Parts: sequence; structure tokens; C-alpha cells
Amino acid sequence: MPVLFCLRAGLLALFTALPLLSALAADYVEQPYWAEKVAKKELPPVSERVPRTPYVSEQANGSYGGDVVTLVARARDIRYISTYGYSRLVGYDRNLELQPDILEKFENEDDRIFTFTIREGHRWSDGHPFTAEDFRYYWEDIAGNKDLSPAGVPEFMMVDGKPARFEVIDERTVRYTFDKPNPRFLPNLAGPVDPGIYRPAHYLKQFHAKYADKAKLDEAAKAQKLKSWAALHNRLDDMKEHTNPDEPVLQPWHVTNRAPANRFVFERNPYYHRVDAHGHQLPYIDRIIMDVSAGGLFAAKANAGEVDLLFRGISMSDIPVLKQGEKAHDYTTLLWPYARGSELALYPNLNAKDPVWRALNRDPRYRRALSLAIDRKTLNNVFLFGLGIEGNNTVMEQSPLSFSGLRTLNAGYDPSEASRLLDEIGLGKRNAAGTRLLPDGRELEIIVETDGEASHIVDALTLIGEFWREIGVRLFVKPQDRTVLRNRAFAGLTTMVAGQGFDNAIPTAIMPPTEYAPMRQDNYAWPQWGQYVETKGKNGEAVDIPEARRLLDLYSIWMNTANRDVQRNVWTEMLRNHAENQWTIGTAAGALQPIVVRNGLKGLPQKALYSWEPTAMIGIYRIDEMYWNKAALKEARR
Amino acid sequence: MIRFLLRRFVTMLVTLLIISALVFLIIKLPPGDFLTNQIAELRAQGEADAAAKAEFLIKQYGLDKPVWQQYLVWLGAMPGQNGFSGLLQGDWGWSFEYDRPVVEVVGDALWLTLVVNVAVVIFIHLVSIPIAIYSATRQYSLGDYVATFVGYIGLATPSFLLALILLYYSNRWFGISIGGLFDSRYAGQPWTWDKVKSLLAHLVVPTLVIGLAGTAAMIRRMRANLLDELGKQYYVTAKAKGLAPGRALLKYPFRMSLNPFIADIGNLLPHLVSGSVLVSLVLSLPTVGPILLSALKSQDQFLAGFILMFVAVLTVLGMLISDLLLAWLDPRIRMGGGR
Repeated sequence: MPVLFCLRAGLLALFTALPLLSALAADYVEQPYWAEKVAKKELPPVSERVPRTPYVSEQANGSYGGDVVTLVARARDIRYISTYGYSRLVGYDRNLELQPDILEKFENEDDRIFTFTIREGHRWSDGHPFTAEDFRYYWEDIAGNKDLSPAGVPEFMMVDGKPARFEVIDERTVRYTFDKPNPRFLPNLAGPVDPGIYRPAHYLKQFHAKYADKAKLDEAAKAQKLKSWAALHNRLDDMKEHTNPDEPVLQPWHVTNRAPANRFVFERNPYYHRVDAHGHQLPYIDRIIMDVSAGGLFAAKANAGEVDLLFRGISMSDIPVLKQGEKAHDYTTLLWPYARGSELALYPNLNAKDPVWRALNRDPRYRRALSLAIDRKTLNNVFLFGLGIEGNNTVMEQSPLSFSGLRTLNAGYDPSEASRLLDEIGLGKRNAAGTRLLPDGRELEIIVETDGEASHIVDALTLIGEFWREIGVRLFVKPQDRTVLRNRAFAGLTTMVAGQGFDNAIPTAIMPPTEYAPMRQDNYAWPQWGQYVETKGKNGEAVDIPEARRLLDLYSIWMNTANRDVQRNVWTEMLRNHAENQWTIGTAAGALQPIVVRNGLKGLPQKALYSWEPTAMIGIYRIDEMYWNKAALKEARR
Repeated sequence: MIRFLLRRFVTMLVTLLIISALVFLIIKLPPGDFLTNQIAELRAQGEADAAAKAEFLIKQYGLDKPVWQQYLVWLGAMPGQNGFSGLLQGDWGWSFEYDRPVVEVVGDALWLTLVVNVAVVIFIHLVSIPIAIYSATRQYSLGDYVATFVGYIGLATPSFLLALILLYYSNRWFGISIGGLFDSRYAGQPWTWDKVKSLLAHLVVPTLVIGLAGTAAMIRRMRANLLDELGKQYYVTAKAKGLAPGRALLKYPFRMSLNPFIADIGNLLPHLVSGSVLVSLVLSLPTVGPILLSALKSQDQFLAGFILMFVAVLTVLGMLISDLLLAWLDPRIRMGGGR
């Protein structure tokens, strides 16, 4: 039953895809890749395959054809194509503005009522229409089914523990209504991992007990050594992981084979919804080929010219090897700044069990002293070739929320001031070796724990230990298994942990500041506080430092408003709060992410920001718009 | 003989039972299990909603039960979940990482492992036996010193380093693609002559690298054994009576010096499956070694457990075979169990 939608006074934002400029149905150019199938009538012509109102990319300007070879370390890693393939209901463009992508348009009223319109004639990669039914199926039959989703509706679709109300307006329109504003909703849909609030209902219904014979399904599950129909459904419903070639997708490429394999082939989606202004349906590249190879060989294989595109799995330390092979093997290594709060940040545990360390970690003068005693210039020279940005763990300059002072406040190198602060706190007593003594007579020896994933963190800590020795503080590094470290941190047994800084260092006002408030258990600075928020007060401890309490209040202000100015002010205050209090101690940011691109493969910017969130690695730069130039195309047809 | 075999058989079974308990216990020693690790890893990468899906699986695989129950289920002494019957019933279990039955995962890698390691064994014997005979018959000659020196170099170089160096240069000079057992072009393709050629080209480096260390050891032992025999009276007599030198050497001394290698068959069999893990890792060979390592790291318990059990079974069998072979080959050795 359609609901009459009446405009109320308030903020109504209406976003519509760019109007179609030129491409009339007859103007579309058929891809050579499908020519044979179209001639045999196995596939309709391209003009019938794209939606009536496709997404038109103004900047894309290439031609069809060719394959792109890349590497993955394990078969499971093929799922990252959903990240950098980046087709979302709504997605970020290069300016980090939200735009409709799979959707034709979305209406957003006060961040409470979201109305989504599907493109007319949009089809799944198997040719079946994509409709409101696919949204309904996810909401009622997957998220709303106790067997399939024991945890229930995903958290971002709830406000104060109440899920959205969902209605189907018509074949092409759905609406989600929240009682209070839910500004997280759209940014979550545009995230690096698609939450997938739509599923191919026509395919999945045959495995759902509500629509098919349950006894038969349980039988089929048993044959596959699975417990129930639900386990079978969950295994086959793998839109993000690409483990099931039978399941249709809306992504630019669709997997054609399943594990076990050492080579995975992704074929272009014939019904993809994006086109360029010249009548080409995207993607330009016919096939993405992923070879499985040991992670340690990535740089060597790239150096030997065995890949066309590679970024995940190589890092700054590989750059010399990558540069060295460029001439001989005809590729280029782009170096993009990695947007992260800090490559290495120290997390003093504010919830430590040991009362003496706890009191120290909570003293802002102590944190400031440790920060002032780090010679960041030397660290930068040793680990980032001197190209890093020295200072606090905070947002990058490219973020519209950045302002001066964030990076540098109390982040200079001033050992004498650091010593003065420590004396002021009452740590003036030293033993014969010059190490300061804690109030209870123990030596000031900080055990910094870290997970053994990144060797450069351990090396950097060794250097920091040298800097701190000058102010009478000893540092011991304790690398360990990640699981062990997490459990120790959750139990309050860690004194200080070293890890990477903020994941999202180029936020805009519309992105939720979750990382910046004490509301996640897996933040090593406040595990107990985070647990308290996550479990709604059942476990953990309530936040008992006013400045940190303020961060939580700011987060709820951000959550309960649809006013962008208010949200921007929240962000500004939060960032200032972090710089002033130094909850975490940053060192240097802006490592370089090497991106190996075969010469002749066009369409990536020379330099851009790389991150997991919000850029989805290189997702927002649209790899479906990458293409081979004429000269290289012959080579790329494998 | 029959009684001897029976007794051996019973001790073998008991040994394997103890090994299975130890293997399972050791795999379970690190904190957490496959799925909790998985969830932790996903969360660390900021994929909280993917973690929700993993939580769905914990109950399904019975990972929330106590360790001893999980062990008995694995063994087949207790009914398992989703129709999992256990080792004794011939069900090797399920791999979480690959989401497939263990037997399929190992099966794919097993024969490639055999190809690599059989090539290595052949290479070692072909190279070391002639060199050893030469060194022993011409003790302290220049050739002996050169062979010894080269052998020690082979023994001393860390094999993974040698592997990396050889990889780089075989790519530079011969254009062989880096790592793997054939060019990625042939992955998943049916076997053709070209694919076989690619396989042979890719076999050269691993065989050399894994084989070199083994060769050195074998040359030294063979040479020492031969020198022992060559001083014995029967050999001196045979030579004095005018037996041709080649025949005199091969007829008895050489046969006697092979004894230790027959005794080694027991170690060779499991080695064919589980050997050369490090080199396989460096060279990215699709063999059992890397699978075992990643299974242990991610606590993919049934997969790791099965591979370790398989190797244990091979070891025990190999010991039996070498005992029987020795008794048959060397009349001086008698069964001790028959009294």
C-alpha cells in the first residue's frame, strides 16, 4: 500500500543522478567480448542490457578490451574486489561527496526518512530485474530471520536499539524510516565493505525454507556436511566474498570459478549500470585475473613484470625493489600517500588494572611528556624516507575538517620540557642507572605491547626507547599474537600498546566520528570504556574522565542531528579534544602506498590519497574506468 | 615372523593414538580458535559486519565445546555435529579456511608435493652416490677436497636465501616466472605438453635448493661408510685375488655401506609429504608444507591435525618397512621379537 509522501517543513535533501545527456539507445557501442553471444542471441544487445537511466560517468574516456592481472595472497582475499570495485547504493565520489550510484536517486529527510529509487530496467548480472523485492528479501527474510541472522538487524540500521521501519512504495522505490536521525546510515552504505542491504531474491529463494521445501533443503545441506538450510543459504549468499559464481551481482565484474584454484577469473558484468558519455558500457576492462601467490613474493613478482595492477599486499619497504624493475619490465610505480592518523601510535591504557600505571596514564602531563620526548624527525627519516608528516595522531590536511595546530600541538621535540613535566608529576627520584622511579618505588619501565604483524613497528619502538632513555624512562617491546594481545588489553593487563593510528584520516562532517569517541572495545586506549558502551553498561567501566566523557556527548550530538553545521562543529571540537589531551601519542603519518601499474593501463590519477576508509583502497577512483591504450591492448588480450 | 608383525602392529596403534592426542592438544594450546581469530582479524581491518557472519559458524562447528570433547569427536569416539563421524570412520573432517573437506584440500596438494620431493630424492642419490664413491676411493685427492668443499657450502647456505637468489636469476636469465610450479597461465588448465615443460622448468630451482643440503650430508656419510668397508680384509683379499676393481667395490663394500640408508627409509617416507616446508613457502609452491603452516597459524584444527597424523602414520609405516628390508637385505640382522 503506497503511503502518501507529504513534504514537511524541515531539511529535505534530494539527490538525483546526472541526467542522461546524449546516449540514446541506438548510440551504444557493443563490446567485442560479448559480440559472439549477442550474435547468437544468447545475450540481448548492449542497449537493452544497460538500465534505461544508467549512471553516466563524465570523466571516463576509454575503450573496450583486455585483461588485468593482479595477485592475492590467499584464495579468501578475492573478496577485496568488492572493496576496490566499489559499486554501492550510494558511494563517495573523488571529492568524498555522497552520490547515488546503483540507485537512481535517494531522498533524505532529516536523516530520518530515506527513500531509495532503483534505476528503471536495472538488472542483475544474470539478466533478472533488480527490484524492490531484493530489498524486501534482505530485510524480512535475511535480517529478520532468526536462523540466518542470529544477531538480528545490523547495528547501523538501528537507532537506540530500535530497527528502521521498512516499506516498499512500489516496484522501484523503498523507504527506511527511523524515529530519530540516523546520520550513520548513508556513510555505512558507502563504506569499504558493502553491507549488502539488497540480495538477489530470485536466486536465493530456492534455498530459503520459507519459499522452498525445508526437508529437501536440510537434505541438501547434509550432503554438503552443513548443519541446516540456514548454513547452506549463508554459504551460497556470498555477494561480498565472491565464493559462489552462481550468485548474480551488481558489481562491475563477476567471478567465474570457485576455490580451490590458483587463478580466479572475474568476467565483466553484461548488465552493469554505469556508462560513459560516448556510449560505452563500463567497465572497459573485460576480465580481472587474480593469481594466488605467497605474500612474500608480491614485490618480486611485480619486479619481474608479472602483474598489470597491484597495491594490496605491497608496502613502503618494497618501493626500492619495485622502482628497480620499472625500466626492464615496462611498468610504473605510483606512490600515493596513505591516509592514516599515524603510521605508529602509542595507546596508553586509561583502564589499566595496575593502580599506579592507571593513574600515570590518566595524567595528561605524563602523556605530553612522553610525546615531547620523541624525536619524530629521526623516526620519519628512518622509516618514511623523511617523506612522512611528523606529529600527532590526527586527520590529514586534505580533510575538510583539518585545521592548523592539530598535528603539531605538543608534538615537537623538547626533552628538557618533558623531563620538567615528569619531575612536576613527582617522578623525580631516579635509581643509580638514571631510570626514574614510580611512586611505589618500582622503576619506570613501560612495557609496550604490539601484535607481531608489522616488523617496522617493533623497530620504531626500539628507537623510541632510545629517545625515552634520555628522560629516564625505559621502554621494553613485547610483540605477541594479536588474539593474545586483544584479550590482555580487554582484561586491563596492558600498560601501553603500539599500533596504527586512526583508520579514517580524511573524514568529512557526514562521516560518523565513532573512532574518535570511547565507544569501541578494540581501541587500546580505553577497552573497558568501549566495552561499557558496546554492552550498554553490562560490562566494563563507565567513562570517568570529564574530557573523555565530552567525546561521548559530542558523538550523541552528532548522531541526533541532521544539521551539517552542527556535525562539523562536533568534529572540530572532537579533533581539538584529541590534540589537547593526546589520548593516543602519534609519531608520523603519510607512509607511501606503492601502486604498480603496467604502462599503457590508463585511468588512475598520478597521485591521490589511499586508505581503507573512506577511499576503499583505490575504489573511489573507479577502476571500472581504467582502460588499455591502443598500443598496449594487444598485449593485454590473454 | 607373524607374531613379530602382530606385536609391531599393536605398538604402532598405541603410538598413533598417543600422537593424535598430543597433536590435537598442541593445536589447541594457543588461545582462541579458528573462528575467534578470524573475527579478531576482520575487526582489526574494520570489517565488523563480516565478523557477525563468522560468529554464526562457531556453534555450527562445535568450537564452543571443551577440548576433550572436540578431540573425541575428531577421533570418532563421540558423535559429532552435522554428520561428522571422525577419523576412525574414515572422515578426515572439515577445513574452515578452505571451506571444504580436508581430504580435498590435501589431495590437491599431495601429488605436487610428491612430484617435488621425489625429484629431490632422485637428484640427491644421482649426485651423491657417484661423488661419494669417487671421494672414498681417492681419499685426500684434490677431487675429494673439492667435492667436500662444495658439499659443505651446500650444507651451510640457508636454503631459503639460496632459493630467493636462484629465483631472481632464473627469472632474469631464463625468463622463468617467479614462484609456483608452473606459469600462472596454466593454472586450472588441463595438462598439455607445454604445461609439463613449464612444470619441469619450475622444478629446477626447488630441486636444486632442497637437494643441495641433503646431498652434502649424504656424500659425507656414504664416504665414511665406504672407507670403513674398504679397509676390511675381505676387500683387500678380493683385490689381491685379482677381482676387477669396479666389481670388487660394488659387490660387497658398496652394499654394506647402503645399510644406513635403508634404515633411513623410515624417515624418507614422511619427508616426501612434509619435507621442505620453508623452501616451499619462499618459492610459493602449492605443496602440503605451506598449507600445514597456515593451518597451524590460523588454527584450522582438522586440517592441521590430519596432515600431522598422516605424517605420523607414514613415519610408523616407514620404520616397519625399513626393519623388514634390513632383515631381508643383511643376513647379519636378526629379529629380536621371536624369542
